[in-house]
Amino acid sequence: MNNPQAPTARKNGLVIQEMPDEVLVYDLKTDKAHCLNQTAAFVWKNCDGKTSVSEIVLQFEKQSGTKVEEDLIWLAIDQLNERNLLETNVTSKFAGESRRSVLKKIGFASVVALPVIASLVAPTAVLAVACSGVQTADSCGTGNCNRGTPCTSCSPACGAGFACGCSGAGATCECIATAGAKTAASKKG
Amino acid sequence: MENEVKKELKEKQKKISFESYGVKISIEADCDIDFNLIKNCLADSLSREFNLVENQTSDHIFYINGDNFTYSLEKNKEKIVSDVSFEFLLDTLESKVRITVAEFAVGRVFLHAGVVAIDGKAIVIPARSYHGKTSLVAALIRQGAVYYSDEYAVLDENGYVHPFPKMLSVRGIIDQYAQKDLPVEEFGAVAGTDAVPVAMVLITEYVEGAEWKPEQLSAGQGIMEILPHTIPIRNKPEFTLNVLNKVAERAIITKTMRAEAVDTALLIKSFFAKLAFKI
Repeated sequence: MNNPQAPTARKNGLVIQEMPDEVLVYDLKTDKAHCLNQTAAFVWKNCDGKTSVSEIVLQFEKQSGTKVEEDLIWLAIDQLNERNLLETNVTSKFAGESRRSVLKKIGFASVVALPVIASLVAPTAVLAVACSGVQTADSCGTGNCNRGTPCTSCSPACGAGFACGCSGAGATCECIATAGAKTAASKKG
Repeated sequence: MENEVKKELKEKQKKISFESYGVKISIEADCDIDFNLIKNCLADSLSREFNLVENQTSDHIFYINGDNFTYSLEKNKEKIVSDVSFEFLLDTLESKVRITVAEFAVGRVFLHAGVVAIDGKAIVIPARSYHGKTSLVAALIRQGAVYYSDEYAVLDENGYVHPFPKMLSVRGIIDQYAQKDLPVEEFGAVAGTDAVPVAMVLITEYVEGAEWKPEQLSAGQGIMEILPHTIPIRNKPEFTLNVLNKVAERAIITKTMRAEAVDTALLIKSFFAKLAFKI
């Protein structure tokens, strides 16, 4: 059954970087980066608010030179929707179905690449140089969590192999190496 | 009485202003502090891209408050640390200034990465701290590669990488954690002086006994792997993605686990030599 919806690709608040077979999209509102593979990128580019899903199917078939199930296009639309890359929410065709069962169904029938959108949250400047996802550069540089601040606000947490050592009245945060008694204070990262 | 205190504070207050990679920074203090030590420390940390400027309106102001024993540090009126030793203050200040420069550098994109060059083409190795970046760079330059950086890949608008040849910060000499800064000459190597194109980006992580199995990534996948190490991505996403795209157009982006640095360096060189005709 054809679905009458005609989704619209969101363009505002995005930085779009076109590549030969992919599109990279950076969402300025959420600081998330998304990499759309060729199939997902094709669907996104054709979401103009006028073209229905069944028409996108036809365009896709023309471009790829092969017959595809409408579900393949819907799989792309679902992912675009989830990542807030469409102007308005569309009603999923797969409501109630698990992603696994949908993928299984489409995957077997499809000879073209399934739509895939890889996403990540862009790091802050500090996290881009950190030892792990929870440490700051300072904590890398010194192995500690905001050393010098009162124990009530020891954050972010120390990285693997370190624990925030805080005890006694008026103590301040310090990361202590858990393997052995070596403190990591004054060690540089 | 209050006025006298204020007057005394004002007299004591000291300040330096400098510019690094187009970023204007001031450091002010309300106490007697060794500004020469701070200047030398920052100049080394910023790979000598450190120019003192008089009467500059700075975009980033660090403020040191302290007495003879403990110090506090603020950046743009936000507290960073308080009641710390001078040694710790200096470490924190150095780290914060370097990140500020890396985030706001004009016309440059800083990646947290090691960089070497072979035959005028750069190999960029993005990695977090404590992930063996310096060990790998050291192994490569010991085997003849030209040293560019063990800290930052500094990319220009064309995707070329510029030298950031600060001394290599090597662990394992003092103990497992502490770093010792060694000049590139200690490794029998030389530092690059010119910007070079990036020919290969290697996404790798040390895993004991890991097998070298380089998998080539698409441009988009590759950029997604580089992004977690890209310092200015939030501050200037459009420029940054454009630069990364230029790198990805030209370079091979490959991913693999790796074992020991010395063995990996040999494998990288061999892999790179095979690729060279394609790049």
